[in-house]
Amino acid sequence: MADILRTALYLFISVFVILNYGLLLNGLVRKIVARAHGRVGPPIWQPWLDILKTYAKRSAISHGVMFFLGPIFRLAGGLGTYLFIPAIYGSVMFANLSFSGDLLLVMYFIFFGQLGMALGAGEGGHPNSAIAVGRGLSQMTSFELPFALSVIALAIQYHSLSITEIVAAQQGGILNWTIFTNPLATFAGLFALLGMNMHSPFDIVLAPQEVPIGPPTEMQSSFLGILQTNRAIFLSAKLVLFMNLYLGGATNIFAMMLKTFMLYMLSVVVGVSFPRFRTEQSIRFFLGVPTLLGLAAVIIFML
Amino acid sequence: MVNPLSIFIIALGTGFLMSLIDRLHRSVTMLVFYAALTGMVVITGQWLVAIMQGSEAAVIYTAGFQVPFSINLRLGFEEAIFTFLANLVGLLSAMYLFSRFKESNAGAMVLFLMMVMGINGMIMTRDMFNLFVFMEITSIATYALIGIDRNTKSLSAGFKYIIAGGLASSLFLIGTIYLYRLTGTLNIDTMIATKEMIAGNAGYIALFLVLAAIVIELKPFPANGWALDVYQAVNSGVVAVVATASSAAMFFVIYKLLPLLNISMLDLLAGIGIVTFVFSNLLGLKQQNAKRLLGYSSIAQMGLVLTALTILYKGTCGILPINLLIIIVGGLFLNHFLAKAGLFWLTGLFKDQETGKWSAIRQNPLLMFVFGSFIFALIGLPPFPGFWAKWELVLFLAKSGQHIWIWAILLGSFLEAIYLLRWLLTVVKCDIEQVAEVNFQKILPPVLFIIGLFNAGFLMMIHYYSFNPILFAPILMPALFFAVDWLPAKLKGIATILVIGAFSYHVIPQLEGIYPIFAILFLGGGLIQLIATLQAGGKRTGFYPFVVMMFLALGILLKSETTIQFFYAWELMTVSSFLLILRGRQAERHSLLYILFSLAGAYFILVGFAYTFAATGSLTILSLNGITAYVSVIYISLLIGFLIKTGALGMHIWLPGSYAESEDDVSPMISSILSKAGIFGIMLVSGLLGKTLIGKVEVSSLLGWLGAATALIGTLMAIFQEDIKKLLAYSSMGQVGYMVLSVAMLSHLGWVSAIYLSFNHLFFKALLFIAIAGVVSRTGTRTMYEMGGLIKKMPFSFISVLIAIIALSGVPPLSGFGSKWLLYTAGIERGWYLQTAVAFFASTIVFLYCYRLIHAIFLGQPKPKFKNIKEASLWYLVPEYLLIMAIMAISMFPNLILKPLIAAVSVYFPTTVDWNGYTVVSSLGYWNGNAVMYVTMGVFALPLIILILTQRKPQAVKQFNIVFAAERPDRPETTHVAYNFFAPYQKALGFMARPLATRFWTAVSEWTQSLAALFRQIYTGNGQTYALHIILYVVVLYFISGGH
Repeated sequence: MADILRTALYLFISVFVILNYGLLLNGLVRKIVARAHGRVGPPIWQPWLDILKTYAKRSAISHGVMFFLGPIFRLAGGLGTYLFIPAIYGSVMFANLSFSGDLLLVMYFIFFGQLGMALGAGEGGHPNSAIAVGRGLSQMTSFELPFALSVIALAIQYHSLSITEIVAAQQGGILNWTIFTNPLATFAGLFALLGMNMHSPFDIVLAPQEVPIGPPTEMQSSFLGILQTNRAIFLSAKLVLFMNLYLGGATNIFAMMLKTFMLYMLSVVVGVSFPRFRTEQSIRFFLGVPTLLGLAAVIIFML
Repeated sequence: MVNPLSIFIIALGTGFLMSLIDRLHRSVTMLVFYAALTGMVVITGQWLVAIMQGSEAAVIYTAGFQVPFSINLRLGFEEAIFTFLANLVGLLSAMYLFSRFKESNAGAMVLFLMMVMGINGMIMTRDMFNLFVFMEITSIATYALIGIDRNTKSLSAGFKYIIAGGLASSLFLIGTIYLYRLTGTLNIDTMIATKEMIAGNAGYIALFLVLAAIVIELKPFPANGWALDVYQAVNSGVVAVVATASSAAMFFVIYKLLPLLNISMLDLLAGIGIVTFVFSNLLGLKQQNAKRLLGYSSIAQMGLVLTALTILYKGTCGILPINLLIIIVGGLFLNHFLAKAGLFWLTGLFKDQETGKWSAIRQNPLLMFVFGSFIFALIGLPPFPGFWAKWELVLFLAKSGQHIWIWAILLGSFLEAIYLLRWLLTVVKCDIEQVAEVNFQKILPPVLFIIGLFNAGFLMMIHYYSFNPILFAPILMPALFFAVDWLPAKLKGIATILVIGAFSYHVIPQLEGIYPIFAILFLGGGLIQLIATLQAGGKRTGFYPFVVMMFLALGILLKSETTIQFFYAWELMTVSSFLLILRGRQAERHSLLYILFSLAGAYFILVGFAYTFAATGSLTILSLNGITAYVSVIYISLLIGFLIKTGALGMHIWLPGSYAESEDDVSPMISSILSKAGIFGIMLVSGLLGKTLIGKVEVSSLLGWLGAATALIGTLMAIFQEDIKKLLAYSSMGQVGYMVLSVAMLSHLGWVSAIYLSFNHLFFKALLFIAIAGVVSRTGTRTMYEMGGLIKKMPFSFISVLIAIIALSGVPPLSGFGSKWLLYTAGIERGWYLQTAVAFFASTIVFLYCYRLIHAIFLGQPKPKFKNIKEASLWYLVPEYLLIMAIMAISMFPNLILKPLIAAVSVYFPTTVDWNGYTVVSSLGYWNGNAVMYVTMGVFALPLIILILTQRKPQAVKQFNIVFAAERPDRPETTHVAYNFFAPYQKALGFMARPLATRFWTAVSEWTQSLAALFRQIYTGNGQTYALHIILYVVVLYFISGGH
């Protein structure tokens, strides 16, 4: 019983930290992007204010059961993804529930939230939601390919699909990180990360001026609040995953924050520099150079 | 015992008397006529029975003198069979012509009697000149009988026959004269004894001319235009005798003369036979007239029988092994004889002989059964004699290393199957345009012959293959169901469930290794899906018999220990599933594709087994193990055979249509169970022959790539479909691709993954197809964009589809993830990195069609026309929720399925996985399905609680109450985004989903048809041209034979 309570406490702390870190990242990036655009930008704590406001809304409408469950699926997906990843190497508190499965589980659990949210958005009945879901799924398939190739290359390199073991193998100096030992796989993976983070030029799902905000169009009040919560957790979860895979993981929380921030800046810099792709352009892009990189990473091991 | 000579005495006596008696009364004449024919049947029948019980053959010397002073006749075993059949077909045809004889001149009956007698004589005589006399008697009687229908066509056909017959007779006579000159005798046996005297060029020419004459009478391609006109124009009752009994007699003449022939002549005969077989069947493809079609088929079949006989004779150096002779030559001959006579009789029921206008036959279940059985017999499907004959023939050819013959024979059989099946399909599917003239004397002969065919088949099964009773179940049980087909459908459905349940209970405990697992897959899966069939009201005739047949055949497939049993079960499964697919409203073209591909696949399997026999001399399946000769031929043939059933890329074009167009409750069985038979087959052979190489490449690695490519292309095709069942069909194709990939890995984890995938696919695909059947039953459409927003009307169906797509896409925590985890881990462990990446890519594309499916139907904007739609019938929901329970059980406790699988597969490969409580540990990673389930529940519960706490009664809004800028939506049709849902994907990757395979196969089909059309032009219909053909044919034949 004490074990369970302690685990629950650890999980609570772990999620709490990652949620706030995610919100912080969001606030920071909004500020940075605004500056890049030559605007002042919102205050850094704006994400907290947004979330509190949406949760506190009194009026709410629902389009049905699936619509109601959509955001829940989404947040469950984000939470689960995070909890299946050991966030900090060697830490009991941040090892989360990574005993449940390996990297494949994490890769597939990412889909859990996406699928559920897509269903909820679908019941909303707004054409933009469906269009955006279609775009998102299409793009997702294409960036998963270089990511999968990259993961396969890692599995060959480290003889393991266990995230903990992959991180363990990268310990002992910066040159042991995958980015240095296996740059091809890393770049393939980082391209995929750009797609996952959905910043420009890959922001075809939430594309402003096209499908205003896409799937969440009909979401409001605490439905939207849950989605915003998820956005913070899910973002951090992805970044933590990529940090584990390519940047040697982290042995403490500050290293984690630093590395994930650097990873995220990649998306931000690319995002402010390039205009948006059309969906088919994005698909072709990911199946081009990033996939070739991934293939090269795998084929090198086969030679 | 009656002296065989009485046959001639009876025939001639009554023939002379009849014109006298006819003055008394027509009925007296007819009585005498039928009595005479019956007498002939009885005499030969009596001899047949006696000889089979061990009596000596009857040898008759006319007038008591020995040869050469008398004519010598013989009635041994072979003669008894041939004469008995000829007389039987004569009697039945005479019955068939009852009303015709009643009206026409008594001379017609006399001619008929002479024809039958002539045939008897040709078979029995051992004297060359006497043979000539009987040939002439038969021919002259036939010429005259051809004119029994007095119309220009039959008269001109008769005239062409006279020309051809005249040419043949002259050649025969000249040849006989030469033979007499050389040997000094006309007696065939003496000639054989003094064979060395028929030497030199003169001897060769003598034999050649005799042979050429007989060959012309056997209507060889291309010198057979006259015969086709005869078949087409002549009365059905007469042509039944001409096509079967007369040809049989001619064939028997060749049989008699075989010992006289040298090797090169045997080769020539075999060549003539096979060319005739292949080309007649090719030309049959363009034929629309039923009688002419049967003509092509008859000529082809006689060609095959000729080829089989000569090859067998040559291969055994003249000492024909009696068993092989009976099974191969006897089987092929009997099959042709009974089926062709029966079909010709059936043609008499219709005025218009166009094959497309025969649909009236289906109004009479008995006739339909007879017609269908004849067609299947001709194609060579079990249990008919042709099936066993083809099996033994191909085995013999493989054993004696005559490879090209195998392919030629199978090619010809395939072409024949095409037009016969097309005919069957038009009968089943076309609108009824004319009435069948059904009366007793026209139905009895074909019915008797179909009974004969079945019995002959059963006798072979019992006598030569010692099949145990349970192997008869897939034929006898459906027969039982046919007998009670008048009962209500629900009752029969329950009976089916009970029968299959009892069968499973009996069979499963007898199996070992991976077999019981597949048995549970086939039969257990079947039982659940059968519940859905109970929704049908009415009688649903012709449904349950084939369902029973299919599932029993699947069970037998697993139980079979020998290759012949396996092949038998495989063919039965194929036929029954074809007949089930055929029931679909728009299934005509697709079921034809299905059966043609399946037949081609079956031929490949046959070839594989034949070479197995050639390599090991054994018929047991396990003899595949440790084969040294023919390994790659065997492996690749068998693989192609099984891959066709799984719908592997390139061989898949039958799949989408067949899955989509079969009845809604048949689709799940076909897609989720039947395709696994292919997987089972692949496991069976690759487990035994897996390491085979072609050059330096492992076959299994090609197989793996094929699986991965199938998965990718199948999935891509699925996302562009608007028809929901087509989408599911392509999805099945893709899913089976994963299974092929994982079987090909030939590793423990690979096989575990393949079987796990099979089970998971069974559950979710059956669930999807049944749920969709429920939806379609209410909406009446299969086009997805016409639906929308059905979640509120059909919530239970929605949940089914939701669970199914989660299990399909592989999202944790449901069972689908297990399959992905196993597949990728197995792939990486095996070192198949790129294949694994392709599989991964494919499985992300799966999300696209999963979403499209559920969104277009259940989410989005509801349409007004479905405002009052109801939830699907309970008969659909019950199996759905049973399947959901199965999915949930193996998701929550993967041990339930994984532990038995791992144990079963470790018989074949050393295991690489370990257990730690609920965690499966592979060499690469680990997975604890149980924990994932709990974690998912936990993370799902948390936001749910938050939302329930923060949402104070959200207000439900009306349909169009959505955030919409500037314009106000008013029609769901314009607001529901569903049509061409993945347009950008089409732009980006649509080029990969081009129907290349379909184009390829269409081109093959068109070229074949054009080739047939080209060759058909030689048949001008002009008697002179035909005469020229015959002469040129003989000349060319002479040059080909080399002249010595």
